[in-house]
Amino acid sequence: MRNPVLLHKTASQVQQELEACIGCNECLLACPALDEPLTIDVLNRETFGGPISAPVARFARSCYQCGACVPPCPVGLHRDAMMMWLKIRLYRSGEED
Amino acid sequence: MRQDHAGHRAPLFKGAEQPSIDRADIVIVGNGIAGLTAAIQARSFEPDARIAIISDQNHPTINTPALKQFAVGKLTREQLLAYPPGTERQERIHLIHARVEKINAQSKSVILANGSAFGYGALLVATGSTPTALPSQLPGRDFDGVLTLHRLQDYLDLRRRLSEVEEAVVIGGGAHACETVMGLLHWGIHVHWLIRSAVLLPRMLDETASEMVLERIRQAGVTVYTSTEVIGIVGRVGSVIGVVTNHQQFIPCQLVVACTGTKPVTTLAKHCDLPLKHENGILVDDHLRSSVRDIYVAGDVAALKNPLTGQYEPRAQWYAAVEQGRMAGAMITGHREAVRPFGVPWHATHLGDLSMLYVGNPLQSPSGAYVLTDTSRGGYRRLLLQGERLIGYLSLGPMQPDSLAIKRIIDEELPVRDILKGLLKGEFDARQYLTRRRTYTAQDLVTSGRLASVKPPTVQTAAQTTPEPAPATRSLAPAAEAAQLEPRLPTTEQLPPLSTGPVLAPQRAPVAAPAGNAGPRYPIVHEEEEISPFTGTLPALPEQGQGRGQPGTRLNSGSLPSRPEQERGGRRNLWAYSDPALPAFPRQSPAQRQQVRAYNEQREGGR
Repeated sequence: MRNPVLLHKTASQVQQELEACIGCNECLLACPALDEPLTIDVLNRETFGGPISAPVARFARSCYQCGACVPPCPVGLHRDAMMMWLKIRLYRSGEED
Repeated sequence: MRQDHAGHRAPLFKGAEQPSIDRADIVIVGNGIAGLTAAIQARSFEPDARIAIISDQNHPTINTPALKQFAVGKLTREQLLAYPPGTERQERIHLIHARVEKINAQSKSVILANGSAFGYGALLVATGSTPTALPSQLPGRDFDGVLTLHRLQDYLDLRRRLSEVEEAVVIGGGAHACETVMGLLHWGIHVHWLIRSAVLLPRMLDETASEMVLERIRQAGVTVYTSTEVIGIVGRVGSVIGVVTNHQQFIPCQLVVACTGTKPVTTLAKHCDLPLKHENGILVDDHLRSSVRDIYVAGDVAALKNPLTGQYEPRAQWYAAVEQGRMAGAMITGHREAVRPFGVPWHATHLGDLSMLYVGNPLQSPSGAYVLTDTSRGGYRRLLLQGERLIGYLSLGPMQPDSLAIKRIIDEELPVRDILKGLLKGEFDARQYLTRRRTYTAQDLVTSGRLASVKPPTVQTAAQTTPEPAPATRSLAPAAEAAQLEPRLPTTEQLPPLSTGPVLAPQRAPVAAPAGNAGPRYPIVHEEEEISPFTGTLPALPEQGQGRGQPGTRLNSGSLPSRPEQERGGRRNLWAYSDPALPAFPRQSPAQRQQVRAYNEQREGGR
């Protein structure tokens, strides 16, 4: 089992990873939890700031951090850490009810 | 056409013929990722500035690296957008569909193709790059079927042609050529790949790595010709039927794709009334300032000094363009504190079915440096070390390592002695390493008893002396502070004075301040973001009056600090995009954090 401590990246690291994302959608194509159309532009935009739309919130809740999104990334980013950040934002926003 | 939030049909570009405005505080030429990133960044600093992007591109900003996925049909055009539709409108960025012909730097205006002038307060040139076409004297270069792949239109063109292509020739020895080869292979096309040099990516790969990539690509069915150039393209009735190489070989094909690199679009530099220095790109300093006042340059067109060679050269890569866009936005709005250095070169991509990572300068050989290589686990790693420091890392393998973490290790010059084996074998867990570095610091604090020797903080200090508790829960620390848990970095000097009273002079920010006083002065630090919510400490519920009680501000306050905060002089943290109206996770009290910081400094001072 993976050490859960390692799933999380710092705010600055998540921001840096979001910037380095080239938008190829490979992570979303590999995701077993995504069950509705969602594009990477919306996901990236809402991961770190601003309002969280309903589809992104649903996706963040359904993400179970399996890590399937990490190996396909051509630039070696960690979508799981970004999703964790999104989950935290969602939690903070009180929308997790 | 796309729709805004209200569902109204909105024109793609505002005022295509007659711009509704004739000047803006910030004018950006080019709506590539550097231009748009700069605009959004500038907006985050200047809520009231008038920002305009002038571009003759007929589509919104797209993720250009994703065009290779578009080429193989994995993505639709809509999935290429870099930002959600309506972002420009939401950020109040004027989009003007026009071509900029020249710059009148003396009168601070640009001249559009229709002859009208558009004034600027600050100008950002982000005109990007254009593909290097095949040599103009090359016979047959204008036959139908000879393409370059750079813009969306090129890829649309390619996709329309695919059904007629059985054999294709790809010219070029870079990552783009490699991606193109793999894309064509995906469609069942037999690809002939012509590489001028003996190795692939000679600036990034050594011979071993290059051969490893090429061998796998050969196995996939591609015919690779190294040390081979095209000396002519043969056509029949206007359309390409083959190429002739310098080895007098004729290769039949219905498509020729030239992936021979890009060059910066410097036409505006040539058409500027003041000398805007340019060679291979428009020359800029480390803060993206050009040789003309109030003109900044970012993205593929900017030529930055390479610290190793001293040469000015563009860094035509996606991540570099995003970083430069951010820096340009901060510089133009005068927020130099938000500027962070670019660090070492970083490039990560797929080469065939292998993941390539290039960080720092693994192929250089400065004095005192030594190289370690490893070819286990079906991959290849090349480490360039100088003493205990890693200065270059090249990796090739089935899995991409944590690429940005390795960049961080090189950028921050972290010692790698303990992790050398992992790095070399390709089994290095960067996150574990970085997490442990923090954990050790905390463990030291606990086990050494230093934590207990300091007077425990009292909650009332923060409450009593910080008049604005709600915004104060937000991280306002500077970007540099993100790394402050590393003991070797200076900490206290960088901390922002956050009190609402007169700004403290830097020398008065005491290193050994009594813990009790530290609370109000530094109520916010960044390391709480560094702590995992899965370490066992559950996040605290939002404090009263924040978060849940304010649904209007809660979700929409993502990035922009409020005006009063700016006026207070607090240095904003670019990374802390988290919601300011919501409390951060208050696991450490301010005074506890101050203790950590003081301890770190003490350790630093002792070395």
